[in-house]
Amino acid sequence: MTVRQSPLLYVFLALPVLYLMAMIGFPIVYNIVMSFQEVNLGNVADWNRPFVGFDNYREVLAEGAFRKVFVNSIVFVTANVIAQIGIGLAVALFFAQNFAGASFLRGLLMSAWMLPALVVGALWKWLFTTEAGIVNHALLAIGLISRPIYWLSDVSTALPAVTIANIWFGMPFSMILIAAGLSGIPREQYEAAALDGAGSLARFRYITLPALAPTLLAIACLATIYTMRAFDLIFAMTKGGPLDSSNVLPLLSYQFSFTQFQFGTGAAIGTFAFVIVFAVSLIYVRTLAKEEPV
Amino acid sequence: MLLDLYCKRQLISLVLAKVSILRNYACRDWCMLLIPGEQPRPFKGNRRRIAMLRGALLLVGGLLAITATPVEAQKKTVSLWHVFNLETDMIHGGIKAFNESQNEYVIDARILPGPQVTTELIKAIASGSVPDLVTLDNPVVASFSSQGTLAELTDLVSKSSFVKPDLYFKGPWASGLWKGKIFAVPRDANTLALCYNADMFKAKGLDPAKPPKTWSELTAFAEKLRDPGKSVYGFAFSAVQSEEGVFQWLPFLHQAGGSVDKLDQPEAADALKLWADMVKSGLASRDVINQRQYEVTNTFMAGNNAMAMCGPWELPRLEKDAKFEWKLAVLPVKDGKDIKASALGGYDWVVPKGSKEVAGAFRFIEFMSNPKILNEGWKTGRLAPRTDVTVENPLWPQAYAIYKEQVQSARARGPHPQWPDISRHIQQAMQEAITGARPANEALADAAKKIQPILVKTPL
Repeated sequence: MTVRQSPLLYVFLALPVLYLMAMIGFPIVYNIVMSFQEVNLGNVADWNRPFVGFDNYREVLAEGAFRKVFVNSIVFVTANVIAQIGIGLAVALFFAQNFAGASFLRGLLMSAWMLPALVVGALWKWLFTTEAGIVNHALLAIGLISRPIYWLSDVSTALPAVTIANIWFGMPFSMILIAAGLSGIPREQYEAAALDGAGSLARFRYITLPALAPTLLAIACLATIYTMRAFDLIFAMTKGGPLDSSNVLPLLSYQFSFTQFQFGTGAAIGTFAFVIVFAVSLIYVRTLAKEEPV
Repeated sequence: MLLDLYCKRQLISLVLAKVSILRNYACRDWCMLLIPGEQPRPFKGNRRRIAMLRGALLLVGGLLAITATPVEAQKKTVSLWHVFNLETDMIHGGIKAFNESQNEYVIDARILPGPQVTTELIKAIASGSVPDLVTLDNPVVASFSSQGTLAELTDLVSKSSFVKPDLYFKGPWASGLWKGKIFAVPRDANTLALCYNADMFKAKGLDPAKPPKTWSELTAFAEKLRDPGKSVYGFAFSAVQSEEGVFQWLPFLHQAGGSVDKLDQPEAADALKLWADMVKSGLASRDVINQRQYEVTNTFMAGNNAMAMCGPWELPRLEKDAKFEWKLAVLPVKDGKDIKASALGGYDWVVPKGSKEVAGAFRFIEFMSNPKILNEGWKTGRLAPRTDVTVENPLWPQAYAIYKEQVQSARARGPHPQWPDISRHIQQAMQEAITGARPANEALADAAKKIQPILVKTPL
């Protein structure tokens, strides 16, 4: 019986494998090949392009902006992951209190995540405007600052500003996943703990957190992957400026490829981003494998 | 789960494709609004109306097709990509008139947001299926023509009775040339002039009939007009980290007697210092470092600055949204130098190599180069790139006179195949000087050092 079915099983296996190779494996390999070639507007359509060894990588490393942008990316992603999970957890716990309208409000929060990133970027650009922006207005009104902050025009605040915007943008996604994780924790455990005299803090520390740990790790990986490709939002807010202070790897890669028409260099920058995402993805896959041992 | 993992990766490597999909579908209206190139924002109502009109036309067209003669059925399609989303732009009337005027070709137009044209064209070139005709921002044309991605038009131009090189202004025409061959025909021209708020002039005791004529007057006026209490700045310009910022600064570089190949000279430093000092002393907002031209006009219309660098494409918006009396003036000159200069912008017609309808595309280029059509360009603030076009009874007559005068001293960017690279180094220097990270002369000397090897390979 099994033997008779196996050819068909191979067909079913082959379909997704072929799909993955054609749609995902090929672009990755193509990108890596491009990063070792000189690619310009004249030969972008050809297959036969001159190989230049590590020249593109050397050029990238020599580029003053690259180091800054690399560090920016790491800072941006780290801050985003920590804040998105921290705030997401807090909000999810808040909505888990099941007060009237909780699930409706939770759904409403998700609407932010469903907006196109370019719209969100434009919105936050307005909010952060120095003179007319509501962020400065609010901070001045409550006396936290004494004069307006040049959020997007100052090299020291541009990255924090786009980070805040992206946290706002990405947090609901973490929140909804955490909420799903929370609902999976049996209520009996809490009741039992309460009977044993555990306070709310202890219940959180000894029941919620351990039960959520695998979920949180998975979300951390997902959030890393999502923020590593934050392109549109920053493009709309600052275009990476001033002085590349808010630039990140995908945007720099785009700028080299499609503004400077140096596709090889752009591809090399893409490879750096890929290596980071790939490493994080491996962690993600391993976490999931541990979570559901088969 | 593997799929998931790989999807994330793909999203990064194909970030561009994703963005364009987003722009195309998910937020079509929004994105036009957000990333509007030089285009004023479209109106949702208009868009809907266009869609309805188009629907109606399709219906009529369909009915006609049923009864059409075989000749009409054989019309060859010329696909056109352009960026002009204002209903009043000459291209829409032009397409309609062209399709009706002959039985050989029919134009199939697709509108793209301004900054997306180059990326879309690159994708088309890479995939081998190109449109027949594209409007490109003129400083990038050389990047495409020098790499052999455009069809040469020299022969067609030499036989043309409408497109005659000597009828065109030198700057726009030069943008389409590469090594003596013709690869593009200018569609329109634009330049920058000084727009000012006449009401604010009056309120501060300045005569609106006498705008600043020199740099020192510009500074003095800006000083008088600024009003920190009301968040009003004296002068506004775009210094954003993109080609737009360079476009706005180059007039000052040229007025100072500098040039792109001599950025390490004191003239260039003077020009950049003027901007940096204005920001430093609060005559201009620090936000100029992050404002696109479109946003500079927004702040001007909102009354947040009294004078602004302004292109003629903004006139329809100014007319609609500025609730005060605005006027235009020729850009001031540097004291003692007296060099009139501005930047030259505009769109070129190009035919990508591989187009199957080069002849048809050129027929349309000729059609659109007819002074009768070019006359309509001013309705959306587009100047004609030709000497034989004068708009009678123009809209905004004062502005028309100023821009017409200003375009005489407008200088082309490049043409140079690596203009985007050169531009990036200038942007870097501008950002450094204006944020105060480095003095203007040091920042520019550094840029000059990086630009030098590019110019050694291919001089400007």
